[in-house]
Amino acid sequence: MAFWTLYRREAGSYFISPVAYVVFFATAIGIGSYFNFVFNYFNDFGIRQYTVLQACVNTFFFWLTLMVQVPIITMRVFSEEFKMGTIEMLLTAPVEEWEVVLSKFFGALTFFVTLWIPLLFNLVLLSTFSNPHVPIFWKPTGNTFLLVLLIGTFYVSIGVFTSVLTKNQIIAAILSFALIFLTFSISFIPFLNVTGNVRDLLGYFSALEQMDTFSKGVFDSRPVIFYLSATVFLLLLTQRLLEARRLKS
Amino acid sequence: MIEVQNLSKSYSGFRAVQNLNFHVNRGEIVGFLGPNGAGKSTTMKILAGYQPPTDGQVNVAGFDVVSQSLDVRRHIGYMPENVPLYNDMRVDEFLRFRARLKNVPKAKLKERVETVKQLCSLKDVERKIIGTLSKGYRQRVGLADAMVHDPDLLILDEPTIGLDPHQIRAVRELIKDLGKKHTIILSTHILSEVEMTCNRVLIINHGRIEASDTPANLTKLVRGGGSLRLEIKAPAADAKTKLAAVPDIEEVEVTAEGEWAQLRIFSKPGADIRDNVYQLVKKEGWDLREMARERATLEEAFVELTQD
Ligand SMILES: Nc1ncnc2c1ncn2[C@@H]1O[C@H](COP(=O)(O)OP(=O)(O)O)[C@@H](O)[C@H]1O
Ligand SMILES: [Mg+2]
Repeated sequence: MAFWTLYRREAGSYFISPVAYVVFFATAIGIGSYFNFVFNYFNDFGIRQYTVLQACVNTFFFWLTLMVQVPIITMRVFSEEFKMGTIEMLLTAPVEEWEVVLSKFFGALTFFVTLWIPLLFNLVLLSTFSNPHVPIFWKPTGNTFLLVLLIGTFYVSIGVFTSVLTKNQIIAAILSFALIFLTFSISFIPFLNVTGNVRDLLGYFSALEQMDTFSKGVFDSRPVIFYLSATVFLLLLTQRLLEARRLKS
Repeated sequence: MIEVQNLSKSYSGFRAVQNLNFHVNRGEIVGFLGPNGAGKSTTMKILAGYQPPTDGQVNVAGFDVVSQSLDVRRHIGYMPENVPLYNDMRVDEFLRFRARLKNVPKAKLKERVETVKQLCSLKDVERKIIGTLSKGYRQRVGLADAMVHDPDLLILDEPTIGLDPHQIRAVRELIKDLGKKHTIILSTHILSEVEMTCNRVLIINHGRIEASDTPANLTKLVRGGGSLRLEIKAPAADAKTKLAAVPDIEEVEVTAEGEWAQLRIFSKPGADIRDNVYQLVKKEGWDLREMARERATLEEAFVELTQD
């Protein structure tokens, strides 16, 4: 099936891209330093009510990293093909649009996952070398990474979608950052003076509240459904737009 | 192999290609000759199943380009204009990727990639990154890609554009070689290109086919004084010999026999042979149904073609 061939090319393309390496090391160093800082801070002040991971992912720094890295890794997926004209070579091979869209999506998602391995690595280091021993709290850790993956899935699909709109990578990146930030902004609304059902509804969409819940180790199926269905919708839309671009006369 | 009926293509109202009719048989090398903007690339994109026609029927390798686009794409090797390639991949890696994409069976993959690398003289750059290759090598990578799955039909859009004379010769030789096994349709805006590689030429200008003939005839038509189409009631062979004896006539070709014979007469450059031909027809007492000059638009197209 063409999907696997395409997927291997897409995922592989990140590992030979200088931009991707910059993003990887920037994330690794940024998150690593922050992790270290939080650990020392907790140690010095004897804070015990939060885990280090929990403190890391419930900060603006974390969200900013997420919102900036995704547009950078997804901006090129279609825009570059349009700009270089390679889309014509790609789509005159016996492949279907959905295979192309899915391979680009999963390729970017694979790299996104790679970007967060260093954080996991930090946790392992901490539990291995800390004295007195700091364990990895598996349930909160698992839930946290699950939510990062879910939000990443959603953000990557936004990035893939905006990339199919233009052949200019910068515009694609700005558009996807804007869209991602817009969906994230729902998280701010509960802080305004909203109460009752509206607040509950918005809380359900709030990435901040979801992270608060998940990082405590509490699983909630509603964000899972929300992020997955939004992703499917965006990918379908992307496929239609890609098709329309070829068929338009 | 290719069957095109009443093909038209509009880009938001602009008619890039209008009412094309032509066919290409298995084993032919057909050149698509026309000035820039004539509609060559548009036609080739349609043949490759990439863009749908606005109007008309296009069959490639026995499949409809719209409803069976995937089947069409399985049977063709298409090289787009300007040869877009993934610049971050190595030649070898790229060709293997493309071979897998085009369903070359795993067991034959290595052999196919080796074969096309050999054919296109890519052995010495197989480990190079495509983005660092010269134009000539890129063109050859494009060709290798087009034929890596051993397709029935090769569609090559301006395969020699932007190459230096030495590279052009190499690519032409390659195409001629490929023509022994594959059916090929290639486009070009250079007259001498088709003379050297093609069995048949379609001349396209302003989105219309102006002529379809062998390169030799077309060249005679334009470089010489043009041709005359004649339809007379006479034994074709006899008429041919008699006409050939007329001054200023270079060659006579019988295009149809029967009660009414159709002939095509090529004159020497600059000569107007119409009067002489008419005098002969009168003298022999043949009935004359048609006499027409074939030139005008074709010449226009050629003026543009030879301006290069
Ligand atoms: N995507 C497009 N949108 C609008 N016009 C186009 C498009 N592609 C080609 N054209 C126009 O169609 C005509 C034929 O173009 P093309 O097929 O590329 O010619 P050629 O390959 O013979 O040089 C040109 O006038 C060109 O400007
Ligand atoms: Mg062209």
